[in-house]
Amino acid sequence: MPGELPPAAASWPERRRHALADPAMRAAVAKSTRSLTAKKEAVFAAYPAAEAMRTRAVIARRGSLARVDALLDELTCQVEARGGHVVRAAGPADVGHYVLDVARRRGVQRVVKSKSMATEEIALNEQLENAGLHVRETDLGEYIIQLAGERPAHILVPASHKTRQQVRALFDREAAACAVDPPAGDATPELTAFARRQLRADFLAADMGISGGNFLVAETGTLVLITNEGNGRMTTSLPRVHVAVVGIDKIVATWADLADLLQQPALSGTGQRLSTYTTFITGPRRDGELDGPEEFHLVLLDNGRHELLGTEFADVLACIRCGACLNVCPVFRTIGGQAYGSMYSGPIGVVLTPLLGGLERAPELPKSACALCYACADACPMEIDLPRHILALRRTEVERGMEPWTDRLTFELWGRFWASPAGFRFTGRIARLGQRVYVRDGRLKGAPGLVGGWTATRNAPPLAREPFHEWWSRRRASRAGS
Amino acid sequence: MVRAQLFVTCMVDLFRPRAGVAAVQVLERRGVEVEFPGGQSCCGQFAYNAGHHREAAAMGRQLVRAFEPSDAASSPADPPTVIALSGSCAAMIKHEMPDLLERDALQRGRTPATAARWRRRAETLADRVVELSEWLDRQAGLEPGQVGIRAESGGPASSGGPAPLKVASHTGCHMRRLLGATEAPLSVLRHAGVEPVELDDAEQCCGFGGSFGLLEPDISAAMADAKLANLATARGDGVTCLVSSDLGCLMQLGGRLDRQGDAFSMLHLAEAVDLADQHRLTPAEIERTARSQEADPDAR
Repeated sequence: MPGELPPAAASWPERRRHALADPAMRAAVAKSTRSLTAKKEAVFAAYPAAEAMRTRAVIARRGSLARVDALLDELTCQVEARGGHVVRAAGPADVGHYVLDVARRRGVQRVVKSKSMATEEIALNEQLENAGLHVRETDLGEYIIQLAGERPAHILVPASHKTRQQVRALFDREAAACAVDPPAGDATPELTAFARRQLRADFLAADMGISGGNFLVAETGTLVLITNEGNGRMTTSLPRVHVAVVGIDKIVATWADLADLLQQPALSGTGQRLSTYTTFITGPRRDGELDGPEEFHLVLLDNGRHELLGTEFADVLACIRCGACLNVCPVFRTIGGQAYGSMYSGPIGVVLTPLLGGLERAPELPKSACALCYACADACPMEIDLPRHILALRRTEVERGMEPWTDRLTFELWGRFWASPAGFRFTGRIARLGQRVYVRDGRLKGAPGLVGGWTATRNAPPLAREPFHEWWSRRRASRAGS
Repeated sequence: MVRAQLFVTCMVDLFRPRAGVAAVQVLERRGVEVEFPGGQSCCGQFAYNAGHHREAAAMGRQLVRAFEPSDAASSPADPPTVIALSGSCAAMIKHEMPDLLERDALQRGRTPATAARWRRRAETLADRVVELSEWLDRQAGLEPGQVGIRAESGGPASSGGPAPLKVASHTGCHMRRLLGATEAPLSVLRHAGVEPVELDDAEQCCGFGGSFGLLEPDISAAMADAKLANLATARGDGVTCLVSSDLGCLMQLGGRLDRQGDAFSMLHLAEAVDLADQHRLTPAEIERTARSQEADPDAR
């Protein structure tokens, strides 16, 4: 059984139409992805040791994943020995029940969250809000997205599809609702100042902080958080209770492994050598310590991950959520993240969404959200073979009969005819005759079936009067005759 | 005399035979004895990328057969190079076909030995395949006379002469990333006496993408438009035409531009080199060549 992902907000044609009709969003996405890619290239170019470190990081990651069960046991012992609680969650409902149970027991009303893809994956906010809790996202991008009522459009920079003007409009609305002063203007510092003021109050009032985790170090039971805003530290140290929801794939065996991995999300994600804040959390506040929560709960989320181990897709578990594949993807650049209908967008989303949520959850992604340009394969710092996985998912869809019967028939006939030179030549002759219906002004402007997709937006030359193979035969005959 | 077999690809065969003819002439001018194995149709990439591996394998097996020596007795120790007129199709053969044919044979219930044999046959073909611009680039490094090759191209623009013609060069994604052939087309064009210009965001896909382009005409066209916007900038800087080693990209960009009622010359690399060989790589001849797809434009 795969895991469970929240359903897409709308159908694929609706999402696609919406995305293509939003030039401001598309321009913002193109700008941010181009800039992030340039920064990544620049940081690697200026940091000679980075490439060797990245290679070691891949080995460390794969090595840890190869013995994930043993490492999770070790991690659990270590966290519990330091006074933390560890629970394994199979899917969204398990996490929701556990967190709500803790909240009830500790009289929690208000929750602050730092950025976490794992909690997006299980729609934790909705689960908590439905139970009457107040939940506030505190990462600036996530805060913007929460106010907009959207899902993150990018794994790393969730609001990169929004312009400053759009953000200001959201903040103005929030200011009116809270009866506070709106931002002074739409310059970035002015917008940030507004968010900072608002969020400060949320931090101070919160009873529970929920975070994700970038890595888990098994040998000491340490949760590693990487952020650029400092909100992660507030979330995990100010409230009485800290709950971390982390995918089981985030496990690393040792601090030596971590040393190679720690910089990778920043290097490939934002082009920084290291993110601004790196936080190591090992258990709750201990006697004599001034900071930290009274309780620390670590929820280890499976949600379809474990069953990928040992399959041809196992390497997707090595993903560090840096977003480098999104930033180079021409389809992502064209439609933005919301169109994917999943918290995981871009090439990794095309693969991870069906693998975690089931192929029926997103059958359109492998075939419609990828041009097989292989840019993601080159970009991935963890060397995940994304194009191969996309090819495999497309093959699986065909094998399961998930495409329209007309397409299936087209391919079957095509394969049958073109597997022989006679068939190839025969179909060429037939098509040359048949195309007359569609040729206007010497161009193909329409076509039947699958090929009609081409002429929906592009012209094509008609098939040549004399294909190359006929020209060749004619030339050879005339040479033999002369 | 060096022998080479031409893999024209199904698209050049059917849609732009002129590029195939240009390739024959380019190769013959360089002293190559060109063969065209008639059994070839398609590398199967389109079906393969669409998830239809059984159909792709059927086409792949036919391609392998087509380029194998007809009987073992006449089989030379050193089989001829197979020159492909598409970086993408060359990449399909080199990167996917051995795996595909082996896996497919097993799925069709063949013995592991038979499957392994299909893999070896595909690998043998893969080793022989080279994309045209890579082949030309390799020859350009050789002294005339070595392996009997006569270099008769326009030659690099001499310093002090008029500024060389600027042409936009577009390298397809599979050529760029699977073959790693980013320099070859540029170097071949320079050798042909023109100044190749890579577009901004050159590494971004044009949106062709095989089945993707048919299933998602709007996204695919939006990707083409982004590429065409960068081409417009280059046109502003005076490029005369767009040259690519992949007809798929040319049909995508040309077809989109044509739908928008805009005309701009697009040439297959073989055609550009053919014109350069004849000292005809001029704006007027480029336009004339781009306008006709036919092997023999004067024939009716």
